[in-house]
Amino acid sequence: MGESISLSPALENYLEAILNLSEKNGTVHITDLAEYMQVAKASVSQAINTLVSLHMIKHEKYGPIEFTLLGKREAEKIREKHCILKRFLVEILQVNPHVAEKDACLMEHVVSEGTLEKLITFLQSQLQEPLHRERGIEKMSKAQVQSLNELRPGTKGKVIRVAAQGFIRRRILDMGLVPGTEVSVEGVAPLGDPMEIKVRGYMLTLRKSEASHVFVEVTEYARS
Amino acid sequence: MKILEAKETVIALAGNPNSGKSSLFNALTGSRQHVGNWPGVTVEKKEGRFSYRGLTFRVVDLPGTYSLGAHTEDEIIARDFLFSHPDIVVNVVDSTNLERNLYLTLQLLEMGASLVLVLNMSDEAKAKHIEIDQGRLSTLLGTPVVMTVAPRKEGIPELLERIVTLRGREPRETFRIKYREDIEEEIAKIEALLTLYPELTHRYPSRWLAIKLLEGEKRILQEMNRQSFMKHVFPQVEESKKRLIDRYGEDLETIFANQRYHFITRLVQECMRRKGEEKGTYTLSDRIDRVVTHRFFGIPLFLFTMWLVFQCTFALSEPLVGWIETLFTFLQEKATFILENLGVADFFISFLVDGVINGVGSVLVFVPPIFLLFLAISLLEDSGYIARAAYVMDRLMHILGLHGKSFIPLLLGFGCNVPGIMATRTLENREDRMITMLVNPFISCAARLPVYVLFTGVFFARHQGWIIFSLYLLGIVVAILTAKWFKRYLFKGETSHFVMELPPYRIPTVKGLFIHMWERGSSFIKKAGTIIIAMVVLIWILANLPFGVEYASNESIIGKLGTAMAPLLAPAGFGTWQTAVSLIFGIVAKEVVVGTLAVVYGVGEEGVGEMVRQHFTPLSAYAFMVMTLLYIPCVATIGAIRRESNSWGITIFALGYSLIVGWTMAVLIFQVGQLLGFH
Repeated sequence: MGESISLSPALENYLEAILNLSEKNGTVHITDLAEYMQVAKASVSQAINTLVSLHMIKHEKYGPIEFTLLGKREAEKIREKHCILKRFLVEILQVNPHVAEKDACLMEHVVSEGTLEKLITFLQSQLQEPLHRERGIEKMSKAQVQSLNELRPGTKGKVIRVAAQGFIRRRILDMGLVPGTEVSVEGVAPLGDPMEIKVRGYMLTLRKSEASHVFVEVTEYARS
Repeated sequence: MKILEAKETVIALAGNPNSGKSSLFNALTGSRQHVGNWPGVTVEKKEGRFSYRGLTFRVVDLPGTYSLGAHTEDEIIARDFLFSHPDIVVNVVDSTNLERNLYLTLQLLEMGASLVLVLNMSDEAKAKHIEIDQGRLSTLLGTPVVMTVAPRKEGIPELLERIVTLRGREPRETFRIKYREDIEEEIAKIEALLTLYPELTHRYPSRWLAIKLLEGEKRILQEMNRQSFMKHVFPQVEESKKRLIDRYGEDLETIFANQRYHFITRLVQECMRRKGEEKGTYTLSDRIDRVVTHRFFGIPLFLFTMWLVFQCTFALSEPLVGWIETLFTFLQEKATFILENLGVADFFISFLVDGVINGVGSVLVFVPPIFLLFLAISLLEDSGYIARAAYVMDRLMHILGLHGKSFIPLLLGFGCNVPGIMATRTLENREDRMITMLVNPFISCAARLPVYVLFTGVFFARHQGWIIFSLYLLGIVVAILTAKWFKRYLFKGETSHFVMELPPYRIPTVKGLFIHMWERGSSFIKKAGTIIIAMVVLIWILANLPFGVEYASNESIIGKLGTAMAPLLAPAGFGTWQTAVSLIFGIVAKEVVVGTLAVVYGVGEEGVGEMVRQHFTPLSAYAFMVMTLLYIPCVATIGAIRRESNSWGITIFALGYSLIVGWTMAVLIFQVGQLLGFH
């Protein structure tokens, strides 16, 4: 995980913009993005193609722009940096919020990991509140990718990874739970284990201990 | 020409569990079938014959599997048989669940099988508005495709025609899934090396072998490791593996499974259409499941079903068993009368009457409960309920080291261990099946009750219920502890799992149920029956030899055995030759212990209580009941274990183990009891 991919500042801005837009509107199209960033559609397309080739996003012609896991993680990291820098500027240095926004936007692309760490420590001591840099990201990614056994009935998602070993893995794969497969959690046995899921149009049961090795990207949460 | 035609054509029937394979097998072979075991394993083997157009066909029903990866006993059997070159493979597929079913089909095709694809349950598919383009599927897979509804024999004539045309045809070029370019490159590299060794490619298609090597399947690797020339191939395999893992960031098992399913997804998109609303609508089956696996109703419903099965097996069969017993008593009397009139020597009369006829009788009394049990179990299996029962109970049973499906065999054990053990065949995994089978005799069956009633009546009249209850409880506790212990030490390497399908509910056909019941029931009588009769006769001989001794007296062989064994039983508080002899007789059937005590004490059944009072103390009586509960299972149970485990080794182990447990517990109870001041 850890290592980050070096993206150009422009591409980082695109990722951040897609993240903000997708949270606001749900889906993001090239037109929205061009409008939001106030650039030509052609240049947006170009940037999008680059991001697709870097496996940051998925995009079909005329379709919406969607994050990959990697892209989402990257975008969130960038935004986190942005927030920390902006808070430092506004709350410690008392910079005008408008200016701080602009400066943070520029600084976020060049600030080094080490400097950022120090900045966080400093901010924490000054503001008297714990500021875990990765906290937000982890929360998000945890909410997105969960092991199958944690999901409540009604939840839908896509298999990302089957981490089981040996015979159990073989069996899980043979039953059609391969990466990319859509699953929905249908229910849990009266005593709380095993669980029942729908996959490839049929009902499959597995113990929670077995399901804990299957990681799912949640696409739809259970209605509570 | 005629001579050539006389050779049988071998058809292998392959398919997923719940794909309707059995009903297709029945539709093809009718009643001409034979049920046995695959050599050396507990897996059931069904074979049948039929003729069509003057040709004879032998159909071998392979175990239902989801895959051919050689990871379970079932898969290994199926694959080995497929590599023994059956003439034709008929692959039965559930039309309503093409996506998962075709996964096996792809593997069959990759193995180079001469395949006919049978889209079974096509009526259900129609009802679900699933439209399958048969022709397109056939073109894309390069194999004939037939639609059937097996129970109604729809499509069977066409299937037979296809089989006849395919028979004897040169094997066509092996079907290929086109994997991703870079994967294909690596396969080609390995294949190029493999084709240098014809002795290998004779046995396995080179492409298939290359893929298996890449997937790193253990069994193939082990086999290949024995070939010296493979050292020229393995480096390439390792290199290819590394390259692909680097590129995809995933292990090769996942990559291949993924690619196969990807292929199927595209195939299904092209050949199958669902008309009307499908997503979000729930089928009848789903709605039934809402109730059956409901948080509150699930368990009561399950218990009620179990009660029905129990009643069906034992209560319904009770009068039938009674009639059989009456009939045999009558037969014994008649035979004695006739033989005496013919002037046959007493010894031979007794041999025939008390030995042989009695032995046959002790098998036949099991016929009603066994057949009814299998009727009930077939009903549960064919309807799809058994998978739900396992689902509902698995949590509890898993804590005890067992599987959800172990519950039914154990419950039946309270009635009689024989049906209990026969019911273990519903379990899929060898490990779960064996453990459930081996602990079943510790569950206190109804036949032990007369022993408890006699002894508690004499010594614990005021707390009779509690004492008997404590014995049942003890049996359960011993069964659980044994299961845990077996799981930890005996079946260490094997993994139990619950990755199972919940098949849609289906209405079983009467014919299917009866064929099921008949084949299983009759196989019990054949296999277990011979053992039971042999044991009954053996014990009779022991009790009557040497010539001229009184039946089961201390002069007879059995009496001498008893005398020899008595000191061993002394630490448990009942070290007399009489108790030893009664325990030996108890092997015939546990309730026989009471009758034997009457014989050896030389009193009638009414006088036994008094004799027991004289020869036992409350403590030794309790120890004796514990011994009766746990020591060697009765002959019928032994026969059932032999039949179901398909191994004398396991059977003898079961005997030795239970004998040790029974003796240890009896001694422990007597000794500790004495220390605590009981007597």
